[in-house]
Amino acid sequence: MPPRPLAKINKIDPAELKMLKKRIDIAMALIIFSAALLLTRLWYLQIYRGDEYAKLSEINRIRIQEIAAPRGNILDRNGQPIITNRPRFNVVWNREDAPNPDAVIKDLAKILHEDVSVLLDRIRAATENPRYMPTRLQEDIDWETLAAIENKHLSLPGVRIEVVPSRDYLYGDLASHLVGYLAEISPAELAEKRYAGYESGDQVGKQGVEKIFEQYLKGEKGRNYLEVDVHGFEQRQMQLQEPFPGNDLHLTLDIELQRAAEEAMGDRAGAVVVMEVNTGKILAMCSSPPLHLQEFVGGISTTDWNRLLNDPLNPLLDKTIQGQYPPGSTFKIVTGLAALSEGVVTPDNTFFCPGYLNYGNRRYGCWKKGGHGTVDFQRALIESCDVYFYSVGQRLGVDRIAKYANSLGLGEKTGIDLEHEKSGVIPSTTWKQQRYKEKWQEGETLSVAIGQGYVLVTPLQLCRMTAAVVNGGTLYQPQIVQSITAPDGKTIKTFAPVSQGKILGSEHSLDLIKEALVGVVNSPAGTAKSVALPNVLIGGKTGTAQVVRLGQVEGLGASGIPYKYRDHAWFTSFAPAEKPEIAVTVLVEHGQHGGSAAGPVAKAVYKRYFELKTGKQENAAEPPPSPAKDEKEE
Amino acid sequence: MLRFDRRLLLNFDWVLIGAVFIVALIGLANIYSSTHLYTNVGAPLYLKELTYYLFGAAIVLLIVSIDYRVLLTLNYPLYVGMILLLLFALVFGKTIGGAQRWINLGFFRLQPSEPAKLILVITLASYYYRKETGKGFGLLDLAVPALLTGLPFLLIAKQPDLGTGVLLGFIFISMTLFVKLRWTTLATLLCGGLSALPIAWKFFLKPYQRQRVATFLNPENDPLGTGYHIIQSKIAVGSGLIFGKGYMKGTQGQLDFLPERHTDFAFSVWAEEWGFLGSVVLVLCYFFMILWGLNIAISARDKFGVLLAFGIVSLIFWQAFINLSMVMGLMPVVGVPLPLISYGGSSLLTNLAGLGLLMNIRMRRYMGTS
Repeated sequence: MPPRPLAKINKIDPAELKMLKKRIDIAMALIIFSAALLLTRLWYLQIYRGDEYAKLSEINRIRIQEIAAPRGNILDRNGQPIITNRPRFNVVWNREDAPNPDAVIKDLAKILHEDVSVLLDRIRAATENPRYMPTRLQEDIDWETLAAIENKHLSLPGVRIEVVPSRDYLYGDLASHLVGYLAEISPAELAEKRYAGYESGDQVGKQGVEKIFEQYLKGEKGRNYLEVDVHGFEQRQMQLQEPFPGNDLHLTLDIELQRAAEEAMGDRAGAVVVMEVNTGKILAMCSSPPLHLQEFVGGISTTDWNRLLNDPLNPLLDKTIQGQYPPGSTFKIVTGLAALSEGVVTPDNTFFCPGYLNYGNRRYGCWKKGGHGTVDFQRALIESCDVYFYSVGQRLGVDRIAKYANSLGLGEKTGIDLEHEKSGVIPSTTWKQQRYKEKWQEGETLSVAIGQGYVLVTPLQLCRMTAAVVNGGTLYQPQIVQSITAPDGKTIKTFAPVSQGKILGSEHSLDLIKEALVGVVNSPAGTAKSVALPNVLIGGKTGTAQVVRLGQVEGLGASGIPYKYRDHAWFTSFAPAEKPEIAVTVLVEHGQHGGSAAGPVAKAVYKRYFELKTGKQENAAEPPPSPAKDEKEE
Repeated sequence: MLRFDRRLLLNFDWVLIGAVFIVALIGLANIYSSTHLYTNVGAPLYLKELTYYLFGAAIVLLIVSIDYRVLLTLNYPLYVGMILLLLFALVFGKTIGGAQRWINLGFFRLQPSEPAKLILVITLASYYYRKETGKGFGLLDLAVPALLTGLPFLLIAKQPDLGTGVLLGFIFISMTLFVKLRWTTLATLLCGGLSALPIAWKFFLKPYQRQRVATFLNPENDPLGTGYHIIQSKIAVGSGLIFGKGYMKGTQGQLDFLPERHTDFAFSVWAEEWGFLGSVVLVLCYFFMILWGLNIAISARDKFGVLLAFGIVSLIFWQAFINLSMVMGLMPVVGVPLPLISYGGSSLLTNLAGLGLLMNIRMRRYMGTS
């Protein structure tokens, strides 16, 4: 078939060609112009703003995964770990990695045995967080759940397992108020300057040394740089910055002594403080009932929190530093010291106690209704005669008592490294004027002289005071941390004993008081003779702090008085008497009698202390046990 | 059947075939880089593309061996066939990505809107060649070519494939401006076109298409929705810097951040891996081909050749310009592939056929009025 139609076509007419050529020139100019436009755009994107886009492409493909640092350990004075870490597995949700969240959440809910709506609520609650930030769906899952999720991880895009070091409380709730607990950082804390660099979801110390020494304990977070594709699947690890563990906190506590104190307290409410008299170091410090630290791991529920708040034994209160109680007869140490030092009485001056003292138009009773008869200073303190101290108190006046009380560290915070310490109250004429805008009544001095009335102290204050009275007169700042060491063992910081000055009172009067306090425990008429140990000489003072005026509950009998109106029982003490080493102060809330309720607790502590001490001396003589063997047994 | 002239071989367009060869190599290498991680069923995509190239080479050989003037008789049968195919795609076509664009031929999935571009060029060239243009075209004279363009335009826009539709419009405008227009006609068209824009926006564009335009104007508004493509593509191109991230090392492409990375966004992969230098080389290759095509047009032996060559040049130019502008964030995202670089048999064969026609015209520039 010849191509017929081709014949019809003529060569182009030169005139028309000229015209078309003109248009092609225009087209060519337009095309060159658009090429220039595209090349300029390329230059703009790749060179002018290239670095910016290069950075964006880096962010695009790199996901930075934070790795929580293991928190520093908390150890006792002998290096015995009290709190360490264990791994905890959390299920987290990465919004940006999940193309199809609904189906995944449904599958996940089945594995977690959780309602879909619960998981969705948690995701919804976190919508204000940045998109890249994972949301925790469930915390602390068990091994079985962990295995189930790891098995299905390919079909669960967006779901990841986060391994978080979590606190392991080796001794349970021992020293719980002092060590404190951890919880997720609150939005309010995040705004604080001291928490700069923290992120929502981080665990922080909320109480006790966990909070105070947060900066030392927390360590440095690690970072895992992962290359991901658009679906969030990890392609490879680009760089791993290992987390740096926190520093170890070496407490001054002796965990064995702490245990003895807490066991002796049992389930009674109260406080025990054991302090080295010559350094101010705290050997044991317990507020009973304890906090259940395990409850706080992963956040405490509102119902649990309310239960704690409404518990009549008030477990949330650290009674050693926040409990303020009338010191009762233990305050006679203060009044006695003031009286002797100020010379208002000599040790041999006697008073007659008929069982009461009439002052003004009121009768002030002695605890011993039949009266003590003729008492001198020694007998007055040993048998705790109220009438004697009413009389010397009257001679001293409230301001002189206050002066001595203040010098013994009462009425002010001890400065211990714990939060929310209370200062107690030491009344004086100016104090009353400021506080109540009223004049001081002389009759009130009588109550103050025997540690009642306005006087309030904390167990820690009383313990420190006792230590100062028997250590030659030096007031030490109570200390709970001995040193801080880095993970490599290097010591970062040591805490030397801090003297807060000498107390008032002559050496002679201090000796007299010490002698009398030994009598309290060791003489037949002493109020704490049940505390005496066979081979150690203990000194101390009992106290019974009235919660309400005696008249209101008189005649009900000891067990008839409702719990909350029963007197608090005190015992503050030291040993060994010849060369005091430790001071032990015990408060049993509503324990009624210092000697019988608080005394035995102190006795148990001393027993343990001297057992440990002799045990240690024996151990020191023997070759030390092989540590490798110990580890195997664990 | 054909008298084979030895001069034809001498006049064979080695320059154009060389340029096409270079771009083809770039395209294949780039498709290998962007798809070697794919786990699709069947042959790897670069091998498929290579097969299309070989098939395309055969088509080019066939086309250059037949005088292009035969198209003056074949143009209407071709046009009718194209319309039927478009209708068939619309009624029985396979839906991919929400649009009915494909006809399954068993061994090959044909996208009829691709050959439709070239057939429209042939049709318009034939029409304008036949129409006497002594005083230039008036408004009424344009009714027929407008209808010829409008019909496939509607069928393609209905799929919906706005990109190809707009491309047909650009081809029509380019070719119409190229032939002589009366000034009054030009002015009327300009005013009419401008006033039609808002009406088209309101009544003709689908919501997702309006969304695309809005997104283009401000992609950061919707970074994970429709703006995602533009942002990711700009990041890919920009992060290539001067020398690129290296072949097969582009993170945007390899890690799946780029959508449609072997088809519409193939250039982004190239720009990311080869940087500014590689991008400039590719852009210059294109514009060399385009300008060479204009040279072919001006040296054609007859007016039909001029019109046809110009139409093919405008086809290639507009595809390249729209695609490159789109991946660089200068234009809204519309589905227009980059000739020879984007993966896809229909597009490749259409463009190779067009280039074959250019070679055909070039070869026969000295032929007599036989």
